[in-house]
Amino acid sequence: MIAALRQLKRRWVSSLRLRLMFGYTVIAVLFMLALLPALRGAFLIALEKSVEKRLAADTGALISAARTDDGKLRMPSKLPDEEFDLPDAQLLGFIYDRDGQLVWQSPSTRDMSVSYLPRYDGRGDELLRTTDRQGREFYIYDVEIKLLRGQDAAFSIVTMQPASETQALYDDFMKQLYLWLGCALVLLLGLLWFGLTWGFRSLRGLREELDDVESGARERLSDEHPRELLRLTGSLNRLLDSERQQRERYRHSLDDLAHSLKTPLSVLQGATEVIAAKPENREQVHILQAQIERMSQQIGYQLQRASLRKSGLVRHRVPLAKVVDNLCEALDKVYRDKQVDVQRQFDAWLEIPMERAALLELLGNLLENAYRLCLGQVRISATIADGACHLCVEDDGPGVPVDQRERILRRGERLDAQHPGQGIGTAVVKDIIESYDGELFLEDSELGGAAFHVRI
Amino acid sequence: MKLLVVEDEALLRHHLYTRLGEQGHVVDAVANAEEALYRVDEYHHDLAVIDLGLPGISGLDLIRQLRSRDKTFPILILTARGNWQDKVEGLASGADDYVVKPFQFEELEARLNALLRRSSGFIQSTIEAGPLLLDMNRKQALIDGTSMGLTAYEYRILEYLMRHHQQVVPKERLIEQLYPDDEERDPNVIEVLVGRLRRKLESCNGFKPIETVRGQGYLFTERCR
Repeated sequence: MIAALRQLKRRWVSSLRLRLMFGYTVIAVLFMLALLPALRGAFLIALEKSVEKRLAADTGALISAARTDDGKLRMPSKLPDEEFDLPDAQLLGFIYDRDGQLVWQSPSTRDMSVSYLPRYDGRGDELLRTTDRQGREFYIYDVEIKLLRGQDAAFSIVTMQPASETQALYDDFMKQLYLWLGCALVLLLGLLWFGLTWGFRSLRGLREELDDVESGARERLSDEHPRELLRLTGSLNRLLDSERQQRERYRHSLDDLAHSLKTPLSVLQGATEVIAAKPENREQVHILQAQIERMSQQIGYQLQRASLRKSGLVRHRVPLAKVVDNLCEALDKVYRDKQVDVQRQFDAWLEIPMERAALLELLGNLLENAYRLCLGQVRISATIADGACHLCVEDDGPGVPVDQRERILRRGERLDAQHPGQGIGTAVVKDIIESYDGELFLEDSELGGAAFHVRI
Repeated sequence: MKLLVVEDEALLRHHLYTRLGEQGHVVDAVANAEEALYRVDEYHHDLAVIDLGLPGISGLDLIRQLRSRDKTFPILILTARGNWQDKVEGLASGADDYVVKPFQFEELEARLNALLRRSSGFIQSTIEAGPLLLDMNRKQALIDGTSMGLTAYEYRILEYLMRHHQQVVPKERLIEQLYPDDEERDPNVIEVLVGRLRRKLESCNGFKPIETVRGQGYLFTERCR
């Protein structure tokens, strides 16, 4: 559970779109929450206005029905608004004199216990809310009159209506409000997601181009990006060009260096062979040749190491089948007389997470060993398990004794002195594998010879 | 055998020229690809040794151009870097084997001889034709186990004819096997040498494997294996 939450959090943090979406969602929800009291307040104001209007009209009906006789209030037995007359009606009418004494109340007020005392203080019309003893809420509309049918009069005409009637209206309104705001929020988030997806299309395009650059399918990024990204793509292109040119220059320099160092060594080697024709020189020639061999190994080893450094920007995945085909084609030519039977035990689509030159060097050295030492059978197998790639090159040759396995992985060590070779092959292989944080180990093969295992 | 050596380093070129010459080959040693292309158009070669790091046209391009001109002789590449990229490219472009610099001459010679044997269809270092046995390692011809006592030139002609058995070999081709291009050539020398060779072969129970094809050259009629 905790791991799943951590993974979710990592996914959220790692995705710009999810982070933006999360931010927009929070803003939208906060906006809706801020909008809610404003809309509710506006509705309540409109509702109270409507209640006030209705109660004002009912009060007007009471005033028009009232008359005074010797300063005393007279109300007709039947009021023009029937609701005042019905005992169970929701409209209540009260008339108080200047001192707050109740002088009339409508038949509908029977059994009602609203404790309201008007104050005749010249404030005019007033809408209030109050609660009776049973806890029921009422709207009260209090009107002070000074004249009644042309005569001086001082009464407070009070009409009331239970708030429960408007409460249902309010509840309905709130229900609708929540529904509509919810729908609006979902629609807004949907539109935002769509907008973000559309906006991020250019970033997705950039990512696809970068994938192509990393896989080697293209050399640089295109200029077909939004203006805001052009500076970034321009900088990346300059970096890519610079790295490519640097690598090219580096490769050429290494080629020149190899040529300019090893060709004189070849001349020296040739000269020693001529000098060796005289028996008295043989000892010195032997020393000279040993030193030439040592220098050659050092140059070869260091140059190969230097040329196989990992690329910083481009992350390669090389199809194994193609590299194996290229190498076997070359080696079949060199060892044509041997007619080596090469078994390939890997999926045709399998890709190795290495640069092509490094994989070529790694497999080239292992396969050349196998071709050179085998009787006639070589097997190349590869699998991918738990995110690691396991490569194995086996042969049916003499194999490597257990006590000598460590030694042949060391630089310059060669067990098969009778065979031509530079003696740095397996050491280069080991270096390449270590630069990819992998490992190389030797075992016996089912074919009878050595099995070189590589895990990357 | 007539070999083409393309190496820009003068000392190494000279060393190869001398050592290969000592082994009985006629060597065309040039410093660049342009000269090599001229030589292959002018003369017949049995094998080429090409350095990959040539100035101007690279060794790889030279190999491609040779193959595109239908030159089928074996090609051995010399590479300084010795990385597999170079080796695979070299072999894919038409080379048959490689040697990494610096090399011991014996290694180069072994590979050259293997390529020459392979190109003429022989895997072993000996060729048999009836009672005749040619030991290419010892540069010796034996009939019924007895050495024929051939001179170096006679041996070269016999080896070339046996390598190209059942084929008419022009006289000019045989001359090229004996002399570098810049030496004075005398076609009569071939006739004299072939005549001596025939006599030595006939001395053994009348063995006559070399025929003259009028106006075309010589034919080694015995099947070799």
